[in-house]
Amino acid sequence: MSRTTSRRVGWLVVGTLLLLLAVLLSLAVGSRAIAPGEVVDALLHGGTDDNAQVVRALRVPRTIVGVLVGVALAVAGTVMQGITRNPIAEPGILGVSQGASLGVVCAIAFAGVHTLSGYVWFAFVGAGIAAVTAYVIAGSGRGGATPVKLALAGAAMNALLASLVSAIVTTNARALDEFRFWQVGSVSGRDAEIVGQILPFLVAGLLLVAAMARGLDAMALGEDVAKSLGHNVGLLRVLGALGATVLTGVAVAAAGPIAFTGLAVPHIARALVGTGHRWVLPLAALLGPVMILVADVIGRIVFPPSEVPVAVMTALLGVPFLVALVRRKAVVAA
Amino acid sequence: MTRVADPVRTVSPAGYAVLRAGQASFLLHRRASVVTAAVGVLLAVAVVAYLCVGQSFVSPAEVVRVLLGQPSPDELVVGTLRMPRLTVGLLVGTAFGVAGALVQTVARNPLASPDVIGVTHGAGAATVAAMTFGVTSFTALPYVSIGGGLAAALLVYVFAWRRGLHASRFVLIGIGFSIALGSLTQLFLTKGDYLVAQQAKVWLTGSLNGRGYDQAAPVAVILLVAVPFVVWAARAQRDVSFDDDTATALGVRLGRVRLGLVGLGVVLASVATATAGPVDFVALLAPQIARRLTRTAQIPLLCSALTGALIMVVADLLARVVFSPTELPVGVLTAAVGAPYLMWLIARTSSRFGGTA
Repeated sequence: MSRTTSRRVGWLVVGTLLLLLAVLLSLAVGSRAIAPGEVVDALLHGGTDDNAQVVRALRVPRTIVGVLVGVALAVAGTVMQGITRNPIAEPGILGVSQGASLGVVCAIAFAGVHTLSGYVWFAFVGAGIAAVTAYVIAGSGRGGATPVKLALAGAAMNALLASLVSAIVTTNARALDEFRFWQVGSVSGRDAEIVGQILPFLVAGLLLVAAMARGLDAMALGEDVAKSLGHNVGLLRVLGALGATVLTGVAVAAAGPIAFTGLAVPHIARALVGTGHRWVLPLAALLGPVMILVADVIGRIVFPPSEVPVAVMTALLGVPFLVALVRRKAVVAA
Repeated sequence: MTRVADPVRTVSPAGYAVLRAGQASFLLHRRASVVTAAVGVLLAVAVVAYLCVGQSFVSPAEVVRVLLGQPSPDELVVGTLRMPRLTVGLLVGTAFGVAGALVQTVARNPLASPDVIGVTHGAGAATVAAMTFGVTSFTALPYVSIGGGLAAALLVYVFAWRRGLHASRFVLIGIGFSIALGSLTQLFLTKGDYLVAQQAKVWLTGSLNGRGYDQAAPVAVILLVAVPFVVWAARAQRDVSFDDDTATALGVRLGRVRLGLVGLGVVLASVATATAGPVDFVALLAPQIARRLTRTAQIPLLCSALTGALIMVVADLLARVVFSPTELPVGVLTAAVGAPYLMWLIARTSSRFGGTA
């Protein structure tokens, strides 16, 4: 094994350990602090005391949903940054998450769909339309899709979609009730059923993305190089957009819109293992859940007894990252 | 002292008319004055329409009677229920219009309006924080809000500064801060007790519902105080519209003038936000519309103020009527119009986009 390879494997191992640690934290910390030993005990041997109940009935589903959402968002962000060749592409900033939200609201308010496996399709449609629209707007005009134009197009999309969502929700009390609890992205109060419902879509999205890792590497070298290397750039874009849309749709349907995970994690992963997507994607998939779970745990303990939704915490953790990224010359000069 | 001979009067710049009153004289942009008058008339029509329409319809004749202070059976509906809300809408719209015009003039870029660069979100976060910590008086909140808006603008400025101010870096950081401040607002909502959170949420949707003279007073006072500054700004605007070298050579203290203009803009936007909540895109739209109508080189302040008020009144009228009896927050409507406009602006900007701000 060459030195670079062993370093990369090392980071993957570190990522795995971090993820285990985050999972343990998420199971142990909360309004009722439970000792790690007891958590492991409750998981392995069952038990009927209060702590074991809390761990298995409340915290395990919540943690699993957090992990899945983290994987989906981080991988979606990596793919978006890859196919747009734009460092600040991310489901939240581009308005893709908000598009998925609008899809879900429409499903609840107009189509009478009330199950997650039903409205996840609406989330896909909403996310897809929003992604394509934002990119087309940013890409038109001279100069193509620069980071600023992409961010502004995303901000405009976000504002427009949020206003539509709020128009529907204000005029439709039933939709409001059902929708309110995940309007701000949160992983609390999700039951184990959701996991089974989103898992197939998540796996499909991940497989799609994994299959195009090599293509993403070629895209990083520029469109012309990718073409001359024998890649079908148009097809790559379509597949990438499809994969990112499915992953974002799944994440939003499960937890509501959560921004900045898809922005920060791919950059951290790239800084650790270089730009090859065969390494970046797995590491991002490990670090994404870490960010979500840590944000969720912090949200549980800052203002007890109330809980701060995970989306709020990821935004607060992620914005310094965006600022640092923008201050680096490359982003603005691009 | 002999008067200058008459022929001088005919040598006015193209498109301008010279007005003289004794010794004083000034130039008037013909198209701009016509447009401003037209917007004023439209605004008057919108005001009357606003007072007519609602749960019950009041005829325009009665509305005018009430406005003129004559006794009328519809005194209660028009004068007591609809007037206060209308007043708030007018003041807030005016403040947003002027604020947008000032900031956009300095940035030379329509995208750098107060709502895009984080000022309104800063004002929002500060206000909600104050509410959470028990400040609920409507006389104190506007000042908290101004503080928040100024602080946000300052932070964005500081973080965007790196050997000069680059317009795109400024906008990107502004967007980032807007999101962060929005999250901070959510954080305070979670911390505050239930009643405060309800009150803050109503405020946060950007609505004129339930706003009255109590809330109008601080905006009115600050707008009045700001009038001399705005008159100064109208002149100063012209100075900063040259390129930097020309302006400096003409003896303009660019740094100070810009700071003054932006500061005034931020204060006005924050005060408006304190009153109506974050109503997005009015500050972006009004100056752009005004400028396209008047076709002047600079953004016309008066016309942009009137346009802001007009947008606000029409949007709130629609917000009350469209889904009657349910009311939409006015911010929903301004966003529904403003966001597509912003997209259109982005779609036709070139990559160079503004240069330095």
